[in-house]
Amino acid sequence: MMLSLLPQLIVSGISSGMLYALIALSMTVVYRATTVVNFGQGDMVSAGAYAVFVFGMGFGLPFLVAMALALALLFVAGFAMQRWLMQPIIAGPHLSLAMMALAVGYTLRGALRLEWGNETINLTRPYPQDVYMLGNVVITTDDVAICGFVLLLFAALFVLLQVTPLGKVIQATFQSQRGAALVGINVPAFHATMWGGGAALGAIGGVLLAMITPLTPDLGQWTLVQGFAAMTLGGFGSLGGAVAGGILLGLTEKLLGFYVNTMFIEITGYLVPILVLMLRPQGLFGRRAVVRV
Amino acid sequence: MAGASQGTGLRRLFWVIPLAMLPLPLWLNPYQQYVLNTALVYVPVGIGFNLVVGNLGLLAFSNVAYFGLGAYTSGILTASLGLPWWLTIIPAAIVGGIAGFVASIPALRGVRLFYLAIMTLAFGELMRWTYIRWETLTGGSMGMAVPTATLFGWRLDSDRSRFYAFLILTVLVVAATDRLLRSRFGRAFMAIKDNELAAAAMGIRTDRYIVLTFAWGGAVVGIGGSMFAISVGHLSPVSFDLTELVLQFAIIMVGGLGSLAGSIIGAAVITVLPQIFISFPGFEELVFGLLIILIILFLPRGLASLLARLHPAFVERYYRG
Repeated sequence: MMLSLLPQLIVSGISSGMLYALIALSMTVVYRATTVVNFGQGDMVSAGAYAVFVFGMGFGLPFLVAMALALALLFVAGFAMQRWLMQPIIAGPHLSLAMMALAVGYTLRGALRLEWGNETINLTRPYPQDVYMLGNVVITTDDVAICGFVLLLFAALFVLLQVTPLGKVIQATFQSQRGAALVGINVPAFHATMWGGGAALGAIGGVLLAMITPLTPDLGQWTLVQGFAAMTLGGFGSLGGAVAGGILLGLTEKLLGFYVNTMFIEITGYLVPILVLMLRPQGLFGRRAVVRV
Repeated sequence: MAGASQGTGLRRLFWVIPLAMLPLPLWLNPYQQYVLNTALVYVPVGIGFNLVVGNLGLLAFSNVAYFGLGAYTSGILTASLGLPWWLTIIPAAIVGGIAGFVASIPALRGVRLFYLAIMTLAFGELMRWTYIRWETLTGGSMGMAVPTATLFGWRLDSDRSRFYAFLILTVLVVAATDRLLRSRFGRAFMAIKDNELAAAAMGIRTDRYIVLTFAWGGAVVGIGGSMFAISVGHLSPVSFDLTELVLQFAIIMVGGLGSLAGSIIGAAVITVLPQIFISFPGFEELVFGLLIILIILFLPRGLASLLARLHPAFVERYYRG
């Protein structure tokens, strides 16, 4: 009885894990490019979902158009945030950078709450809501849409990074900012672009998240912690690690939640960063996160 | 040097400020009195936070956890065991201090920068989850009522009477922290913040100072939590979420990082400011967010640095750059 539910748990674990992976990836892109963690990323994610809501349901645009507009908007927001808010203080203490990002997130969240208060908004799915049976495993169209879309996105990113000339530039700058600057890469522009890209990626995560949970302004808070958990589990700064960490986090949450105690569904995201950083600071695939003094 | 010694002499005059505040309740209406009390609650909260973040320069985001633990300690001890409030101040400080000690463990193991920020953020959220789930003690998400406080048998049943208790506690916290910062501890903090490795090489036991600061900060914030508990009279987990964290961050950023006077100024400004606006849900977050952005961009040392420009008496020698 207990074990027969295992395949079902794995399916739903992977499904939510894919979302965490996407959010962690969007944070990792920013971190790898600028060595700054965007503490406002959670709110960028929910802002993306709200933007789709406004364009789609407010202006009545078709879903894909609304999504494209939302991505463009978030890209611009991320770009502008790096260019005008982070870049001027980039040489300052880490605390200012963290606070700045957190403050931008709060401003966003406050604006969302001011407009939509504490009402919950449900995005209409652009696909029919249905379930498929695979043996005795229930797979919803949400699972299919989320996994399919995220995998497609990962494939596109992989090709972008490995094959295209732009990917070469990105990889070069990831490796050494100074070296990249020496061979003529415009590093500040690159930073801003990666922040924009990270925000747009996060927005996609937000839209997919809005398929399965109602939208509230507080979604960003939860998203941030889950993204951190996936990121630390996989190892800070590792793109593959972010994906693996996200999926592993989704699975752990569901399996512990079912076999040990339901409370683990709520607290796995909090426990994982604490335990990982204490026991194995480099995560599964990352570099050491510890400063020896 | 002349300026500095002149400043030191003048600094004694700062103790006139709490004395001058004594007759304030005569002129304030109950609402203004409540706002003033809240400002006093946030003075120790800001001081404890500022010690770790400003003076020591470590990115620890777990301040709300100490605050909540202090508040719930006082709340639970008075509600369940029927202890008078004044007897619960020390336990609240101890619980806050222990939480600070726990939060310092990763820092001791060399977790720094964003990693420390993430861990302490998760710690704070875990605590909030605990308040929600430990329903028998905390009343869960509905919260718990805190009985009317008593101070040596004297019932603190009005904001006016609580004001005097809060003022005394706040002055004690400020005085003790001022002493701490002006001792060799303060100079050690400065050395650690500037360059931890160099400080260690000079023979400063950086690990001890880090533990001490976290524990002291946690204890002070715990006292603030205890004051908060009786000031609002009702505790619920919502009071200790990430929005509260930004409020506390706004206090130290707006007041001035690493400045004792800054924590006090920040507590006053951030408490009074939202009262000026008509409050809509979300408005506070928006205003505090924008305020922090502007401060970081244009006044990175906060309002305290404006005062320091006016007169050398306001320069705090145990903190620089």
